[in-house]
Amino acid sequence: MAIHWSRPRCVLAAGTLSMAAALLAGCAGNGVGLDANGNPIGLGSSAPSSSSAPAALSADFQSIQDNIFTPICTKCHIGANAPEGLQLDQAHSYALLVGVPSAEVPTTLRVKPGDPTDSYIIQKLQNSPGIVGMQMPYGGPYLAQSTIDVVAQWISNGAPQASSTTNTIASVAHERAQPAPLEVTATMPAEGSVVTAPLVSLAIGFSHEPDTSFLNAAVRLQNITAQPVSVPLLLAQAQGNPATVLLTPVAPLGAGVYRVTVHGGDATAMTAVDGESLPADYSFTFTVEMP
Amino acid sequence: MSKRPRLMALRLLLAMVCFAASCAYAEPYLAVQTGLKCTQCHVNPTGGGLRGAYGDVFAQTALPATHLDTGADTWTGSLNTFLRVGGDLRTEAEATEVPHSKTISQFSLEQVRTYVEAQVIPERLIVYADEQIAPGGALNREAYVLYWSPGHDWYVKAGQMYLPFGWRLQDQTALILQASGINMTTPDQGVEFGWLKGHWDGQLDVTNGTAGGPVNDSRKQFSSQLSWVESVWRVGVAANYNDKLGGSRGTYGLFGGLRTGPISWLAQGEVIEDKSQGFGLGRSAATLLEGNWLIARGNNLKITFEYLDPDRSVSNNGETRWSAVYELTPIQFVQLRTGVRYYDGIPQVDSQHTRLYFVELHGFF
Repeated sequence: MAIHWSRPRCVLAAGTLSMAAALLAGCAGNGVGLDANGNPIGLGSSAPSSSSAPAALSADFQSIQDNIFTPICTKCHIGANAPEGLQLDQAHSYALLVGVPSAEVPTTLRVKPGDPTDSYIIQKLQNSPGIVGMQMPYGGPYLAQSTIDVVAQWISNGAPQASSTTNTIASVAHERAQPAPLEVTATMPAEGSVVTAPLVSLAIGFSHEPDTSFLNAAVRLQNITAQPVSVPLLLAQAQGNPATVLLTPVAPLGAGVYRVTVHGGDATAMTAVDGESLPADYSFTFTVEMP
Repeated sequence: MSKRPRLMALRLLLAMVCFAASCAYAEPYLAVQTGLKCTQCHVNPTGGGLRGAYGDVFAQTALPATHLDTGADTWTGSLNTFLRVGGDLRTEAEATEVPHSKTISQFSLEQVRTYVEAQVIPERLIVYADEQIAPGGALNREAYVLYWSPGHDWYVKAGQMYLPFGWRLQDQTALILQASGINMTTPDQGVEFGWLKGHWDGQLDVTNGTAGGPVNDSRKQFSSQLSWVESVWRVGVAANYNDKLGGSRGTYGLFGGLRTGPISWLAQGEVIEDKSQGFGLGRSAATLLEGNWLIARGNNLKITFEYLDPDRSVSNNGETRWSAVYELTPIQFVQLRTGVRYYDGIPQVDSQHTRLYFVELHGFF
């Protein structure tokens, strides 16, 4: 095909590519002034989130949150539509990870405290045989093995929510603070979300460890597609994560609209082991669709 | 239609393909190489997915190094007057090297996709579905109804669709696609108005802004792009604004293409301002420059340079990626791709120095 270049067209095309070339003037950074995670050195954790500088990665949950989950995973795993119902922002990640069955392979816990090899998060990061779907982070670049090893070490340590130092500080602070009422901090599925059938397991994260003797009376699952119908449930605390309660329907949930209600506000309200109770009913609704 | 007019139509189509010299294969560089709009070879006016009859015939005649003669039996995807089908299968062997880590090598089935187009009113009203059937469970990517104006100079599309934003590259891990978050893994639900008048090619989309997921508020995402297409060059602008719960995200881009002899160039630059939850005031930028050298028929060498500034308020944190990919299409409907992707970034982060080597087999129809 013959090419005829008029002068104005040539100038315009050259101008366009010049602009593109100017945009392309960047090159890889030399890392000067940045910490081990590529964030500016010297900024405290209270700095604005876009330029905060988390401490170097270590085998404790907060460090993993600051260095991996927040900067990398929450690009997708955030909000009501987070893939597989797994929200990995600071407010939800621990409650929905530790001791919670994975949505893709429900027989495997996302994080099985003490057993990184049998933890689905490690399998997904390493692209191990048996996973469903893609290796994470989706599309790469994938985490270096040394980084995955740190996550595995945290799991080997029992997957605690706080480091021993933080635990001490937190316990002292807790003794001095006024008791706070019990709250629901995370749910899976999230309010208003749509998930694919069959749904095998649900989870509710609480701000305090709930008193298990209240569970059966206070937590209710209903199919509200038409007239509300109660769905039989098994309730248990998540392994290594007593603040999260797992709801396992006796049969996986099929298509329909469902509502979970945690009773609060009176003498039979959901209550924590420290005696604090839920001040009012808490409920969330979700839809299960056929694949 | 009787056999004779159909055969004549096929010959006419083949003649058009030959006249167009090296027409579209299925990637945007082909549009630049041929000076055509995406809609010339794809059912979707914004490109990708099911090829049209023109694209199918081109894939059998002008694309491969050698055309295996099938006589009068030429695949056009048509099952009958109203129904057309197509598909893509990509499987690869790859090795990933990350400093201070053991090399991972694996075979993987990248994707198997099927496309169905029902021309319920021929040339005017289309019902279309794009389904990924592997790996994992079935996953709907696109599903929409598209109404064309009588002269095909505007259309309205409604349903679930990929959003328009600059070059729709085949490589979904490209930094410009990862940075913008607008790619072929994140379709959204809404409506699209397209305008393809003369040299102009434009789209305006209003969608939920939830990447196909459910919504529980009235916020929406707005996407638009407008380009001017000449036979040897084109230039366009694109914008996307997602009014998300927890903070808005705006992405603005400039893209262009130029053909210089056997080389087709693509360029794109974009800036992102993300005020959504978890990112604070995130201001980032990404650029791409790609050259495609058509060495010989069926042989293309693709060299790509990409740059990402993940936080424009921070210095010395840039990331780059170089890719060299050789694409051989030995016969119709089969393509072999082999290449290397070379990431570079700050020395502190090993994963920013990943090396990826791959060989991919791509079968399509």
